Amino acid sequence: MESTESKSKRQLTTLLDNDVLARVERMRLNPTRRLTNRSRGEHLSGKGGASTEFVDYRDYSPGDDTRYVDWNIFSRLNRPYMKQFRHEEEMHVVVIVDASSSMVYDGKIERAKQLAASLAVMGLMNLERVSVYACHRKSGALQFVSGITGRVSMRRLFDFLENIETGGDFEIDEAVQSVLRRHTGRGIAVLLSDFFTFGAMDRPLNMLFSAGLEVFGIQILAPAEISPEVTGDLRFVDCENGATLDISSAGELLGIYQEHRLALQERIESLCRSRNGRFLSISSHDPLPWVLFDLLRRRGWVR
Amino acid sequence: MSFPGFYDLSGAWLFLLLIPLIIFYFLKLRRPRMDVTSLVLWQQVINDQRVNSPFQKFKRNMLLLLQLLLLVSVILAVMQPFLPTGADRANYVPVLIDCSASMGARDKPGGPTRLEVAKAQVEQMIEDLLPDQQLSLIAFHKTARRVTDFTNNKRVLRDGLRDITVTDIPSKIEEALRMTQAMARTVEINDVLLLTDGNFPTDADFELPFQLTYQRLDPGGRNIGITALNARRAGARKWEVFVRVEGSQKEQTAARVEWSQDGNPVGGEEVILEQQQTERLVFNVETDRPSMIRVQLTPEGFDALESDNVGYLDLPAGRDLTVYCPLEMKAFRHALRGLENIIVEPADGSGASELSEYDLLISDRPEDASPPAQVSLYVGVIPPRLKDLVTVESGGAEIVDWVKSSPLLQYVELTEVYSNDRPQSAPDVHDRHYEEAGFDILAHGRTGPLIVADRSGERPTYYLLFHTDNSTLPYRVGFPILVANTVQIATRQSSLSDVRGTTTGVLPARQLLTNRTYHVAGPGSISRDVNSDDNGIVAGISAPLVGEYALSEGGSEQARIGASLLSSEETSLTGTDTIQFRELSVAATEEKVKMDRPLWPLLTLAALVFLLAEWWYFLRRSGGMVA
Repeated sequence: MESTESKSKRQLTTLLDNDVLARVERMRLNPTRRLTNRSRGEHLSGKGGASTEFVDYRDYSPGDDTRYVDWNIFSRLNRPYMKQFRHEEEMHVVVIVDASSSMVYDGKIERAKQLAASLAVMGLMNLERVSVYACHRKSGALQFVSGITGRVSMRRLFDFLENIETGGDFEIDEAVQSVLRRHTGRGIAVLLSDFFTFGAMDRPLNMLFSAGLEVFGIQILAPAEISPEVTGDLRFVDCENGATLDISSAGELLGIYQEHRLALQERIESLCRSRNGRFLSISSHDPLPWVLFDLLRRRGWVR
Repeated sequence: MSFPGFYDLSGAWLFLLLIPLIIFYFLKLRRPRMDVTSLVLWQQVINDQRVNSPFQKFKRNMLLLLQLLLLVSVILAVMQPFLPTGADRANYVPVLIDCSASMGARDKPGGPTRLEVAKAQVEQMIEDLLPDQQLSLIAFHKTARRVTDFTNNKRVLRDGLRDITVTDIPSKIEEALRMTQAMARTVEINDVLLLTDGNFPTDADFELPFQLTYQRLDPGGRNIGITALNARRAGARKWEVFVRVEGSQKEQTAARVEWSQDGNPVGGEEVILEQQQTERLVFNVETDRPSMIRVQLTPEGFDALESDNVGYLDLPAGRDLTVYCPLEMKAFRHALRGLENIIVEPADGSGASELSEYDLLISDRPEDASPPAQVSLYVGVIPPRLKDLVTVESGGAEIVDWVKSSPLLQYVELTEVYSNDRPQSAPDVHDRHYEEAGFDILAHGRTGPLIVADRSGERPTYYLLFHTDNSTLPYRVGFPILVANTVQIATRQSSLSDVRGTTTGVLPARQLLTNRTYHVAGPGSISRDVNSDDNGIVAGISAPLVGEYALSEGGSEQARIGASLLSSEETSLTGTDTIQFRELSVAATEEKVKMDRPLWPLLTLAALVFLLAEWWYFLRRSGGMVA
């Protein structure tokens, strides 16, 4: 008991083991597009910047800063040319955690919080601006921590994630729209959800795309959702809204259930891809190190 | 197509139970609740399934459907439906099952016997028995035995059916029909089922009061057997033995016949029979003491019936016929003197008899003063049982008619025979009174009978109510013929002229010691005790199987009798097509008896299946994921 307590005391957060955290800190997000903010950061911009790394020349325009005129060329050609340097801009990493009731099942929300922590840490350690939103109830206030950056914010990040309020009826499509109403900044939007919504996902994904956020969709399902074991006549009760559905001979419907689950997965993946995004479906029982250091790395999500 | 009938239609009221069943089902229908994270996928599944499966609603109430099917099956079973076959349905059906020797025949090696085939049909009838129908099983061969009373208790009927076994006795159907007729006095019998292979005499001396279904079973296969075995005296110690062998009517048969005397082989011969051919074998044996001849037939190839492959013949010791005739009856002694192989006592001049029993007694003394004999002829004696019916008076008497077919009066001309003794029947005494007293009138006078024969007892006894010394009979040609006939009867009775093989059924009476208990051991583990009467006669020994029956006393064998089948009908295995009764004939049918087929066993089975299906479905439905 004592050793357990001393061990927990040594842990920086209950979400991640220290060794996992140490490895995460050395990893970086690897977006497909360079969606960055104008503010300085560690992401190189395609536009001219103020870094020391030379990129190109351009013609001088009146009003340009004469400090960037290449005088050597001017002396030879008698024409002013402006030296351009690579611009390092910061990227905004938005993590949206679905904390509704459907996620409070068989370790789904725990896995979502761990992934949110890991990806946010990667952003923080890369000096990105990181915002984390947790959506649980439509009527409730949006839980978030916004605009944090740097290693110093790590404690704040962990505290926020560890104390997320869960359970509610907030569906992911509505949650995304709600987040976008108060968020500004381009970069990456990580969606951690089971994507079980009666609403359409194309509108929120369009809004993310329009807001300059590259979507990293991660679907987290429980094993009982991937391969349910149900038989007989049942009355299913939706844990989010209390709606019921009578099922007869549930065992005979499992085949159709699998077809629809895979169809949902393919549809969301297709929506993400068409908006230069990425999609991944994992089980809440998949080991976290395997997901972080193997799966995401192989898929090129992180490096 | 015939629609099913219902024995208990009032059970249809139970269909009202369907109403509360449906009501209670929907009142009590509660699906187990299960929390799921989201209904998104399941809603899509249901929408998809409803499109693909138009029977979704039907499947949703599968449990109710199974319960309804279960209840309907049970109610229909309670109503006791049956499938009518078109046959008139009788409430009381006697089933006459032939268990004679030919019913043990098989149609092929290892195949079932005819009796087993018949039993299978009766078993099906018992299975299909309706509640208001009762069967009575009657097994018959030469006689009939009621195996079960009228009952619908299937266990009793099956037990009774199991007890019926083949006996090596020829069959006659009259006894079974008479027994059935007697049963008809207590219950109404309209139809009688006769299950037999038809190996019995075509003519039946019976007036059929009910409808008889003569169901003839398929005949057995190829068969050859011994159908007759007898012997004729060919000398003082020599016998000619005759064996008749018959085969199947439709096939060639062959066998080897071997005979032995007291266990010692005597000879043998090969026999090949074409269709419808019989073979008569003759061989001689010599014996000066009682001897048993055993004839064994060994068929070549398959033989349907085994019981006709052996025959037994008991030969008596060769000797002269002993006749007791008083010296005073000179006419008879004179007539006897001309016959061979006869010893007449008392001898002339001696006046005393040396034997305690004779083969033939001719006497004019009252019965109680005469020595016992196999055949007796009393002259001028009125039988004690007829003393109240007839008296002998003086006066002329004349024979006006006589029974010419009687063995005693065969070839005897009695016209113009007069007697001074005139038998006079008592007033109001007619012929039937003599018959009721146990006598047959062989010769009629004008006022009363002149010659009568006692029908009672094993030993033939004849009475001439007039004395021959007071008549013209000794002077007629018919007199020596009458004496010769009497001797012939005695010779046959003492088995001194010819003997026939003893057939199964009841063994012939044997003369042994008086008032003793003898143990009878026979084939098929037959074991029983019989008692001899005051005359030392042992009679009534049942012999249902072919074989040797030993009579022993205190472990010491006293007699041995061989019983054989010796029946041409049984061996031929050719069933008669038609039974000719007195007034009508009944044709055989090979169609199986149509019985209304009960359906409730099937419905009960269906109900059980529905119950199991409902149980399985209920268990399957109640399982599932724990949220």
